[in-house]
Amino acid sequence: MANTVIGSSIVIDGEISGDEDLVIQGTVKGKISLKESLFVEGSGVVEADIETQNVEIGGRVTGNIVATDKVELKSDCRVVGDIKAPRILIADGASFKGNVDMDHKER
Amino acid sequence: MAQEQIGIIGKGIIIRGNLTGGGDLVIEGRVEGQIALKNHLTIEATGKVQADIRAEELTINGEASGNIDATTKVAINANAKVAGDIKAPRVVIEDGAVFNGSVEMEVKLPDDI
Repeated sequence: MANTVIGSSIVIDGEISGDEDLVIQGTVKGKISLKESLFVEGSGVVEADIETQNVEIGGRVTGNIVATDKVELKSDCRVVGDIKAPRILIADGASFKGNVDMDHKER
Repeated sequence: MAQEQIGIIGKGIIIRGNLTGGGDLVIEGRVEGQIALKNHLTIEATGKVQADIRAEELTINGEASGNIDATTKVAINANAKVAGDIKAPRVVIEDGAVFNGSVEMEVKLPDDI
């Protein structure tokens, strides 16, 4: 399990970078760049451009998302922004506005 | 899974900017900028903080540089390295800790007494 948790009462305004999993239950504004997985949980609010390997979103995200592996929008999430990733999953009940670019490469 | 009101900044994470909040926070990674917390902040041995810190209580086991303003207590444990000015009613510096800066322990009575 991820060992970095931005708790529900925490607000970060700035830039987060790193090479381990990150769980956001609070609020992050600015920029996030990770080499691992990002989890935005139900209470999480993110207003940031996101660059990471995997993203799972159950909360609210405003910003462009670039993932090297997978983006998963769970039901009840609200996402506004463009998504670029090889694999993108949108669950029933999710609300999303933006472009999807799967950059599909012939294998 | 950690308790909901506790935030953890892990070893591999770097945050640049402002960090504010109401819960307790444990920093094992790096934070540069400003921290304003209503509760307890712990900087673990692996943590490096270059920030002005405002918190209720602060425990430092790692490295911190910047001015510190705590409403109850600042504890600088052995092996900690701290540079900056500290303002708090109670300040504890353990044997082995490295500290450069000033300490101000001015204790004000609450206005409502």
